[in-house]
Amino acid sequence: MTRGYYWLVTGLSIPAFIWLVPTLWMVSLSFQPNDVLARTTSSTAFGLVPIPFTAENYADLFAFGQTPWWFLNSLIVSTGMTLGVLAVSTTAGYALARLDFPFKRTVIAVCLVGLMVPEQAVFIPLYTMFADFGWHNSYHALILPRMAVPIGVFLMLQFFRAIPHDIEEAARLDGVGWLRIFWYIMLPLARPAMMTLAILTFLYAWNDYLWPLVSAQQRDYYTITLGLASIQSNFAQSEGLGRVMASGVIASLPVVILFLIFQRYVVQAMTAGGSKG
Amino acid sequence: MRHVLLTAAAAATFASAAPAQEVTLARFFGACEDAGTDTTTSVGEACIIQSIINAASAEIDGVTVNTLPTDWGNYYDQIKAAFAGGTPPDVFVMHAHTIPEFASLGALADLSGDLEAAGIDTSDWAPLALDGVTYEGGIYGVPMDFHANLFHVNLDLMAEADLVNDDGSPILPTSPDELLAHAEQFKAATGKNYLAADFAQFPIGVRLVVSMLWQQGSNIFDAEGNAQVDTTETRAAINSIVQLFENDLADPRLNYADSQQAFLNGEAGILVNGTWVVDFYDSEAADPDVPLTNYYVADFPVLFEESATWAGSHGWAIPASLKQDDPETYEAALRVIAFIQEHNLDWARTGHMSVLQSVLESDDYNALPHRDEYAATATMAADLPPTEHFSAIQDILNRELQAIWLTGKSVDNALSDAQIDIQDVLDS
Amino acid sequence: MRSRRAAQLSQRQAALLLLVPFLATYALFLVYPFFRGVWISMHDWNLLAVAFNPDAKEFVGLRNYERVMWGEDIEWGLAAPLWQGLGLIGLALAAVLHRRSRVSRFNAIALGVVSLLLVVLPGFHPGEVGRWYDRRFWPTVGNTVLFVGLTVPGVTISALLLAAGMNRETRAMGILRTLFFLSQVLSVTVVTLIWQIMFSPRQGLIANITEVAGGTPINWLTDQQFAMAAIVIATVWWSLGIAMILFLAGLQDISSEIYEAAALDNARGPRAFWFITLPNLRRTITLVVVLQIILHFQVFGQSHLMTQGGPNDTTQVLVRYIYQTGFRDSELGRASAMAVFLFVIMGGFSVVQFIIGREKDE
Repeated sequence: MTRGYYWLVTGLSIPAFIWLVPTLWMVSLSFQPNDVLARTTSSTAFGLVPIPFTAENYADLFAFGQTPWWFLNSLIVSTGMTLGVLAVSTTAGYALARLDFPFKRTVIAVCLVGLMVPEQAVFIPLYTMFADFGWHNSYHALILPRMAVPIGVFLMLQFFRAIPHDIEEAARLDGVGWLRIFWYIMLPLARPAMMTLAILTFLYAWNDYLWPLVSAQQRDYYTITLGLASIQSNFAQSEGLGRVMASGVIASLPVVILFLIFQRYVVQAMTAGGSKG
Repeated sequence: MRHVLLTAAAAATFASAAPAQEVTLARFFGACEDAGTDTTTSVGEACIIQSIINAASAEIDGVTVNTLPTDWGNYYDQIKAAFAGGTPPDVFVMHAHTIPEFASLGALADLSGDLEAAGIDTSDWAPLALDGVTYEGGIYGVPMDFHANLFHVNLDLMAEADLVNDDGSPILPTSPDELLAHAEQFKAATGKNYLAADFAQFPIGVRLVVSMLWQQGSNIFDAEGNAQVDTTETRAAINSIVQLFENDLADPRLNYADSQQAFLNGEAGILVNGTWVVDFYDSEAADPDVPLTNYYVADFPVLFEESATWAGSHGWAIPASLKQDDPETYEAALRVIAFIQEHNLDWARTGHMSVLQSVLESDDYNALPHRDEYAATATMAADLPPTEHFSAIQDILNRELQAIWLTGKSVDNALSDAQIDIQDVLDS
Repeated sequence: MRSRRAAQLSQRQAALLLLVPFLATYALFLVYPFFRGVWISMHDWNLLAVAFNPDAKEFVGLRNYERVMWGEDIEWGLAAPLWQGLGLIGLALAAVLHRRSRVSRFNAIALGVVSLLLVVLPGFHPGEVGRWYDRRFWPTVGNTVLFVGLTVPGVTISALLLAAGMNRETRAMGILRTLFFLSQVLSVTVVTLIWQIMFSPRQGLIANITEVAGGTPINWLTDQQFAMAAIVIATVWWSLGIAMILFLAGLQDISSEIYEAAALDNARGPRAFWFITLPNLRRTITLVVVLQIILHFQVFGQSHLMTQGGPNDTTQVLVRYIYQTGFRDSELGRASAMAVFLFVIMGGFSVVQFIIGREKDE
């Protein structure tokens, strides 16, 4: 390692620290007493060090707060959506990549057009449609509209296309059916791509705001993004900055942990996706 | 946790063969998650209302109340979305001036025939409150309070500026010129801003300007119900506020939380805010760590000829569909509303004015902190004429007023734009 | 094995079976809603009124589009000389560059189209007695474009520089990358929560530091000059990660031999970045830019939660206007017309993205 390298690391550490400060500050504020925060948010080192310290905000949150419920709802919705997208995208991606059937090119073209429709352009008609069905305020209302993402299909399609044909052909000669090939051969091979898709979908679902905002009004279906948004619009009358920040930390913890565990998958998968593009 | 307990309680009641009627309730006022059921000691709007609701859930036989999440910023959007989605809450709070919009579409149940049976006596309501919830002859809500703009005063700072009477009350202006003079005198003596308010987001500014229009005998609609905002009276009202900004005697860029914090920190002499914070500020003033110590509440001053101040009213409504399809829950919902009305005195502890004549005349009510300091507000109170487009009109006015003091738009342009936009809304 | 074979599906049947779940959700939750949206946009459609009485809507043809985008006595002329002048220069540049074959045909056309739009669009303005029917729509579109115009370069340039600096497989670099990527996984409401307090003139970290340094804190979120900057800063902080990862991926495709060869020619550091990294990353850069444009054009949460579109609409953005028109004002017809407009814009960018992808493949 050269001296230039160490300079580079030092030089990059400064912006990296700045990047971390807002998050650090949130965590630190969440461990400070509310009555102190009402007067000053910069007790020690601009408030970046939680002195005076208290864990009461978290205790209160779990004793009275709705944050744990919102959290659970988000978990259910995000997991459901991820599984749904995986199921729909792998099957369709495989069929479009490896099977021959009439109108295949047309189907691909039709899906391609769908890539252009942003969710914000269809949330109103979706809203009225779900209202007609009486589906609002349910888990499926939060999950279903996001399952029809052509981007997932294309991701899987590209991946399946790149798998050599001989594996499949050998299996065909042994008399293995298409569905079994898909299930026993293709899916295990597709694990890295599925991982990427799963992570991207989960993050997307966890962070979705506009659709839950119009679809869920009842506590049983409030997601964490909605809950945190409501806390913000009640700011002036909230139970204190420390507790608000504790909610933010609780809301972020699972995705951060998930990311730290699967970080290699995220980066590797994106690298693969990026270079094949 | 409560959730689990509620479910458990519901299950237990179910087992004992008297099915508990679950009533979903939507409200704003902010969240208070550990409010408890003691309605006499809770502090602040959010906790007081939630303690009343919790008490209702605990004390009414066979009824449990499920409070929906509270999202102030999106409250009416979410209520509309819930209505259109077919899942409106069973009881929900509204501002009286939004009742025409919902009632005209047939969304709200006409309660007039059922109130007496539920133990709600409309003859006890203040006439203005009854008007507020009445639409085309039907009663579509049960009023809970009047809320008006008040001058929240830091007496220590006012004394420093020599703006306190011998009896200890603050000296307040009686004309726009005097307002400016006081503000300058205040700044010279204390170096601080005379006035603070949320001029940046919340429509406090609209309420100020409208109050001053009424004080001049004018209004935002003419006799035929057309828009009428581009007037000399509106200019006079706006200028009395803008002169403070221009002379650096008030900061238009503070939002709700910041203006409140400025006042509590002793950085402004007067905060213009509603009745709903009186008990909160009173309890803050008692806290030795809070710079504000000598807290006084004054009526919004009369700066022009007539005595008037903006006042709204909160009330509880029930969806028409509930009355039609589910009489049992409807009845339970009415009992919840009746319970809330019985606790009108507890609600008035926030600082809100009661709508019940029996409460208004009671000694307990008049003994509430600072109550005598803003007694005149009750007689000054007025509200906008009912319109189905209230929120859109308030939004237009709020935007144009903020354009004047935050982005330097000329008053002429702002008012002519507001005139056109409001007329468009009325015509649509 | 043998017995199963008899029951095996043909290739067509298998394909149908595997495609049905996707095609069904696709048709039901994307294709149908899209056409339904167009249909709603041609009606006078009150959210609540129609919910209570499905017949309460009225077909009005294209009137919602007119009410949103057009006005009375609209004229065309040199209303915004600066933008229109820029557009003219762009047009000339596109023609010259194309004639001299300095850029590809596609890039020349893209530049030409953008310039033409710059010349034409700002030229519309109401005449003396005229007015826009909806005074807020075009300024809202303008704000959205401004937001995109500030955020996308902000994200792209900082992500590119950081990626170039961190393009080494060492432990320290791995940790640094993680730190930069971390904010990306936070939800929009956590981001606004953090930054709303960060920017607070009274409790904010920025204000606290400013005060110690002897300055007067800025009212970021309610000051006309800073409100847009504030939501841009929060967005750049939030969404830098993915762009950075994509750049890192692109950088790894550039073989080290090219750099070694360049080093012999004394091209190191910034020179190598300029002459080797940038040209080789052209395709990744375009990809990142287009993806970011599409993403940030749909901004909603930052504006809705941090500034409520204020002060005086300076941070009002298109999706928030759609939401408000639909759910606060109950005007679903007009809101849908705006949504269709959003789709047309987004569709335009998607086509560009598609063409870029194809051009490079050929």
